Amino acid sequence: MATNDQDLLATLQSRMGGNVQIQLGHLGKASVQVKADFNRDVLKILLETDKSAGISALTGLDMGETIGLLYHIRTNGAIVTIRTEVPKQDPKIPTITDLIPGAVFHEREAADLFGVVFEGHPNPARLVLPEDWPDNLYPLRKDAKLDDATINSEASKSQTEPVQPQSDGSLVNIIIGPQHPALLEPEKFSLKVDGEIVKQVEPRIGYVHRGVEKAAEQRTYLQDVYLVERICGICNSCHASCFVESVEKIMGTQVPPRGKYIRTIILELNRLHSHLLLLGHAGLEIGYETLFQYMWRDREPIMDLTERLTGNRVIASTLTVGGVRRDIKETDIPKIKTALADLKKKMGFYRQLYEGELTLKMRTQNVGTLAKEDALKLCVVGPVARGSGVNIDVRKEEPYEAYGEIPFKLITYNSGDSWARFMVRLDEIYESISIIDYALDHLPTGSFRVRVPRVVPAGEAVNRVEAPRGELFYYVKSNGTAYPDRVKVRTPTFANIPAFLKTAEGGNIADVPANFVSLDPCFSCTDR
Amino acid sequence: MVLDLWFVFRVLVFPGFTFILFLTMFCDWLERKIEARMQNRVGPNFTGPAGILQPIADFIKLLTKEDIVPRGAKKTIFKLAPLLAFSIIVFAMSFLPVDGAAAISNSSFTGDLIVIMALVTIANFLLFLSGWASANPYSTIGATRVLTQFLGYDIPLFLLALTPAFLAGSLSISAIAASQYLPFVLLAPWAFVLFIVALQAELEKDPFDIPHAESEVVGGLETEYCGGKLAFLHLTRDVQVVFGAALVVELFLGGPYGPVFFGLPEFWYSLWFVLKLLAVVVITEYVTCLFARLRIDQVLTANWKVLLPLSVLSLALTVALATWIYPLVV
Repeated sequence: MATNDQDLLATLQSRMGGNVQIQLGHLGKASVQVKADFNRDVLKILLETDKSAGISALTGLDMGETIGLLYHIRTNGAIVTIRTEVPKQDPKIPTITDLIPGAVFHEREAADLFGVVFEGHPNPARLVLPEDWPDNLYPLRKDAKLDDATINSEASKSQTEPVQPQSDGSLVNIIIGPQHPALLEPEKFSLKVDGEIVKQVEPRIGYVHRGVEKAAEQRTYLQDVYLVERICGICNSCHASCFVESVEKIMGTQVPPRGKYIRTIILELNRLHSHLLLLGHAGLEIGYETLFQYMWRDREPIMDLTERLTGNRVIASTLTVGGVRRDIKETDIPKIKTALADLKKKMGFYRQLYEGELTLKMRTQNVGTLAKEDALKLCVVGPVARGSGVNIDVRKEEPYEAYGEIPFKLITYNSGDSWARFMVRLDEIYESISIIDYALDHLPTGSFRVRVPRVVPAGEAVNRVEAPRGELFYYVKSNGTAYPDRVKVRTPTFANIPAFLKTAEGGNIADVPANFVSLDPCFSCTDR
Repeated sequence: MVLDLWFVFRVLVFPGFTFILFLTMFCDWLERKIEARMQNRVGPNFTGPAGILQPIADFIKLLTKEDIVPRGAKKTIFKLAPLLAFSIIVFAMSFLPVDGAAAISNSSFTGDLIVIMALVTIANFLLFLSGWASANPYSTIGATRVLTQFLGYDIPLFLLALTPAFLAGSLSISAIAASQYLPFVLLAPWAFVLFIVALQAELEKDPFDIPHAESEVVGGLETEYCGGKLAFLHLTRDVQVVFGAALVVELFLGGPYGPVFFGLPEFWYSLWFVLKLLAVVVITEYVTCLFARLRIDQVLTANWKVLLPLSVLSLALTVALATWIYPLVV
C-alpha cells in the first residue's frame, strides 16, 4: 500500500507539476492543494489509479475572502483530500457528479450552506434548507446574518399546494411523507409511478435540519461532545468517538490503552443496539409483528448493559477528549459476558428465522437489489455496501480505538438485496459480541483517560468511524481557541440515500417500505 | 303472545344479538391476549380481571369520541356503510345453529349456506364502499385492496364450503351440522386446512392483512373514520372473525353437537359451540403471529395459482373418496 501511495502521489506531482501542493499525512492519507480549475484533473488521476474511488464527504470552509472546498475522496481504503478555493464573490466550480455520481447530494448540500455554484450539476435544487429560506443567505458562512433573515413566504406558499397527478403519459405522482407511518422521521419522497411500478424517486430531506454544524462553532469542544451525540440517538457514541478522535488528532493526544478498549466496548454495544433495533423494525415494515416484538425485547438487555457501563440507557455521554469518563468495574465484567452469551444463544433463533421463514424471504429477497458496480459508483457505505459485496469497513481499513488489536471478520453478502443487507447486520451482531468478549478478556490495566487542556491548538483533522449504519465522517478545524472553527459531519444515511433512489426505481410500490428500511435510514442524522 | 316474547328473546338476547356481541368482545380479548403472549407481551391487563373488559372499554371510549365526516366524503355511504356491514354479518350469524337451532326459529332452509356466503360478500363490498367514500387516497387504496383480495378468495372459500355440503348431501347449514356424527375435519382434513387458509385471507389476517398494511396505507379504509363509526368498523372486523370461526365450527367441527351432554341440551349445545369456536379463533390467531405480510401481487398469485386449483382438487378428492366416506356420515 505504502508504495502505491507513493506512486500515486508521484504521478500527481509529475502530471500536475506546480499546480498541486501535496502534504502527506494531512487530512487523511494526504491533502492535495489545487487551483479551482484543476480539481477535476486531480480527481481523474485518482480515479485512474483506483476505479472504485468514491467521495466520502465534501466540506465547505469559510476562509474569509474565499470559500474552501475539501473533497474527501475515499481511495484504497483511505482518505485523500483534494483542496481547492473559490472566491466568495463569485463561487463557481465545475461539478464532479459526472465523474462520481455519488457526489450529487454532497454538492447540493454545499450549494445550500455555502452558496457555491456547481456548474453542470444535474439537479441543483435545495436539499437541506427549507423552501422559504431567503435566497443569498448561506448559514455556514461566517458573515451570514441569521438574525435578520426574513422568511420568503412566496416560496413557502407554492410548496403547500397539493401536487396534482401528472397528465403527461401514464405516470402518477405519489408523495410519501413528510408525515407517513412508514417513515418515523419527517422526509418526503415523490414517487413517479406507472401502475404499481416506481419509475423515479425524488427525495426532499432537511425537515429536521437543526444546524448542528453551525451550533458546534458556538460551543466549546467539551460541549460539542454532547452536542454531536445528539445528532443521532442510536449511534450516539459513534458520533462522540468520531468527534473526540478528530480533536485528539489535532491535539496529538494519546488515549491510554484501557480507555481505547472501553471505548471499543461501548461502540460495539452501540452497534448491537442499532442492529437489533433495525432487524426488529424491518419486521414491523413487512408486517411481521412477532419478530418486531421479540427483537426489541432482546434489545433491552443491551440498553441495560449500556446503562451499567455509562449510567445512561441511550445517549451514553461517556466518551470525552482524552479517554472515557468512567472505568469498567471488575464486578461488571461477568455480568456483561452472561448477557452477551444469552443474546448469542437467542441470535441463533433469529438467524434461523431470517434464513428459513418463507414469508419473510418472499418480502425481502430480490427486493431493492443494488449491484456491486452501482454500490461503488454511488459511494454507499456500511452494511448497504457490504450487502452488495463491497468489502469496506473503517474498522479494518483504518483501525481506530482498539480495533487493530481485536480479531473479527468482515461480513459481506453478494446478492445485494434487502435480505442480504439484513443478513450482514445479523452476522455482524455475532462479530460484535465476540469483539466485546475479546476486549473484556484483554482489557489493559492502567488509567482510562488523560486530562487535556480546554484550548485546542490550531489545526485540522478528518476522522472516520464505522457507525452501525456505515462510515461516519468528521472534519474538525481548530483556530487555536476553545471553540472549533468548523465541524463537518457526514452521516452514513446521507451517503446511502442515492442507493435507495437507485434501487426503488423499477420496483413495486409495496416493496418501497421493505427496501427503504433495509438501508437503516436515520434522517435526524442526515439532516443534522 | 308468549311465543312472540320467546322469539324476541331469541333474536335479541340469546343466541341472537347480545350473545353475539359479547362473544365478539370476548374473542377480541382472546385474540389480543394470544397475540400478546405469542409476542412475549402482556396484552390487555387493567380493565377487569386479566383485562377481559378491555374491548368493551375501547368500544365505549370510541363511542364517546367526536365523530367527524370529512369534507368531500360521500356522506350517506360514509355514515351508513359501517353500520350496514355490521348488521349484515350479525344477520348472517343468526342463520347458524348455536343451541341446536338458529336464532330465528324456523329460518333454516335448504340453501341458507349460499345465502350467508352471499351476505358476507355484501358486507365486504360495504366495507369497500366505506373506504371508497372517504375521499382519502389511503382509504381508497385500502378499499381497493379489500376488494381485490376478497374477489380472489371468495371463490376458493365457496368451493371449499361445498365439501361439507357434498358430504352431508345438503346445502342447509343445520343439516350439515347435524349430519356430523364424525366431524368432517376427520373425514376431509385437506378441505379443513385449505378452508382455514382461505378464511385467514377472508378475515384479512397475516399473512394476508394487506388492506391493513399500516406502513403502506396508514389505516387502510379506516383512515378517515373516527368516533362511533370507527367503533362499528372495528366491531365489524371482530364479528367477522367470530362469524368465520362459527362457519368453520358448523361446516367442519360438528356444529353445536358434542360428545358429552346430558340434561338440558341447549346448555350443552351452546357450550360445545363456544368451545369449538374459541379453538378456531386460537388457530387463526396462532397463524397470524407466525407470518410476515405478503405483497398484494404475491397474495393474488398464491390465490389464483395455488389455492384455487387446490380447492378444486380438494372437491374432486372428496367426490372420489365419497364411497368410503359416505358410510361414516350419519
